[in-house]
Amino acid sequence: MASLTIKNAVKRYGNVEVLKGVDIDLQDGEFLVLLGASGCGKSTLLNMIAGLESVTEGEISIGDRVINDVHPKDRDIAMVFQSYALYPNMTVAKNIAFGLEMRGVPKAERETAVLEVAKMLQMDHLLDRKPGQLSGGQRQRVAMGRALVRRPEVFLFDEPLSNLDAKLRLEMRTEIKRLHKRLNATMVYVTHDQIEALTLADRIAILKDGEVQQLASPAEIYDQPVNMFVAGLVGSPPMNFIKSKVTQADTGLVAEVSVLANGVEQPMLLDLSQQPADLTDWIGREVIVGLRPEAITQDGQGASFDSDIDVTEATGADTLCVLTWNGQEVMARVSSGYAQIIEGTMAFSIDMSRASLFDPKTEMRLS
Amino acid sequence: MSDQATFNQPRTGASIALRVLLWAVLIVFAIWFLLPAYVVVGTSLKGLEEIRGGSLLALPHELNFSSWRHAWSEACIGVNCTGLEPYFWNSVGMAIPSVIISTLLGALTGYSLTKFKFKGANLVFALILFGCFVPFQVVILPMAVTLGKIGITNTVYGLILVHSVYGMAFTTLFFRNYYVTIPDELVRAATIDGAGFFTIFRRIILPLSPPIIVVSVIWQFTQIWNDFLFGASFTTGGAQPIMVAMNNLVNTTTGVKQYNVDMAAALITAAPTIFVYIIAGRYFVRGLTAGSVKG
Repeated sequence: MASLTIKNAVKRYGNVEVLKGVDIDLQDGEFLVLLGASGCGKSTLLNMIAGLESVTEGEISIGDRVINDVHPKDRDIAMVFQSYALYPNMTVAKNIAFGLEMRGVPKAERETAVLEVAKMLQMDHLLDRKPGQLSGGQRQRVAMGRALVRRPEVFLFDEPLSNLDAKLRLEMRTEIKRLHKRLNATMVYVTHDQIEALTLADRIAILKDGEVQQLASPAEIYDQPVNMFVAGLVGSPPMNFIKSKVTQADTGLVAEVSVLANGVEQPMLLDLSQQPADLTDWIGREVIVGLRPEAITQDGQGASFDSDIDVTEATGADTLCVLTWNGQEVMARVSSGYAQIIEGTMAFSIDMSRASLFDPKTEMRLS
Repeated sequence: MSDQATFNQPRTGASIALRVLLWAVLIVFAIWFLLPAYVVVGTSLKGLEEIRGGSLLALPHELNFSSWRHAWSEACIGVNCTGLEPYFWNSVGMAIPSVIISTLLGALTGYSLTKFKFKGANLVFALILFGCFVPFQVVILPMAVTLGKIGITNTVYGLILVHSVYGMAFTTLFFRNYYVTIPDELVRAATIDGAGFFTIFRRIILPLSPPIIVVSVIWQFTQIWNDFLFGASFTTGGAQPIMVAMNNLVNTTTGVKQYNVDMAAALITAAPTIFVYIIAGRYFVRGLTAGSVKG
């Protein structure tokens, strides 16, 4: 196993700059997820690590070895593709063994390795089948087996679960997590699914327009997003953004919003005293207060207030309530037993220690 | 069965009349198109006396294969009375290598144009495609000069070269369009697995190609076997392919015109392409319409 270092990686197609200088340092055995919308450059970056795309500028190294000009087969990587890319004309066993065969591993050794991997993925009964005879989940397993069998330094995954149905996706997600634990291998995983990113990653790199927005642990990404893009991308439903003026109150700095309660707009002061940022410059100016839906919840867990409920959406474990602040929709998350009422006024509480503040102009976090 | 009945229209007088009319029209057209084939086969089986005495459409009195034997081994082509046999083998010796070479080259070219795209690949493809629209007549003179320079004029090798080069435009088109539907990720996966250009071609791409190979082989074989112009232009005498020889056989008259021999010669000449089509024909349409490979 080895570390992976990406130094100022740039990718250009003609005049179009797809990646604008990406820096990522990955420890040995770390699980990195590249998260972003389509077209953000995450797959390009993965292909550059794999050697399927050239590096226009910068340096990519595995361990101490710069691999910019090393052929994909000599990089000691394995990749799982979105479409699985199984060879349709070969049996499962041959599919898995192909990489070993190309590297001149003797037949007996190949067979042992294939059997071992097949057992690990519980698909030893499928070895004689062709990919066409397998279900989506089984194909996915074969694709994983093909990557695993070579015991590479770095595993690359290109949206491997996006072609599976919801239930299988959950199963395979857990399986990948388990594999990572067991192999303790360095893995890079591309996805546009933020839940996958949060559950799998040791660290997430969020990309937008070819730039890394934030590279941090899932918890840090979730709780302390560096800008409004990251805050809006991660979390479902997304973070509420409320524009509000910072004022000096007796208790300290507060942000003022108006809440619709009993049909009337009533002022509410959001306590900013727990914010780590120095906000004295912001007194009298507007900031964006970012609040996750779960920071606004049923009464009894913080500063309480009354609010009219516009709509409720039951999601099973939780119920989402749409409130109206400053004339905008604000999502609150309460436990389902609590929100039996469909509409009317209810008491909520708000946990301002979990709020994030953003500069309305730059959209960057105030810290 | 009862389910099916509900889908059938009720049998009214009008619908039956329409059905009868449809069949009548189809049968008339079938007879219309089959008639020449019937005349050719029938005439080839008749003796000269019978041809002269009877009607064109009359059935032969007995199955007389002597004109076939004559056309195959005795008929005079120009001054050589060897029958079509040596020319038949000329054509076999020309068509089989040409088909193999042009199909293989088309596959390789199509593969590199789709899976190992280089700068200007689309332009190269457009130029190759242009070759499909160049009429035979245009290339005769430059080709004759080329063959002369290489020193293979009037040989089967010369014809093999001509047909391989000319056929490549078509085979490349077939294979390129087929390979476009094979996902690129297969090639990427194989690259990471450590396979090179030719290994991927041999181990992954070719095994997926039989449908389009059938198309290419039928097309090329029919084209090359049926070619007259190149054969007539670049060969003389004993090196000629059967298509040219048959023409000469029909045009060589020593006394009486032997229609039965001419017909038998035509059938012998056409037999291989018909044979190939019967064997592989059902794969032809399937191959042309074959879509993406399931990954």
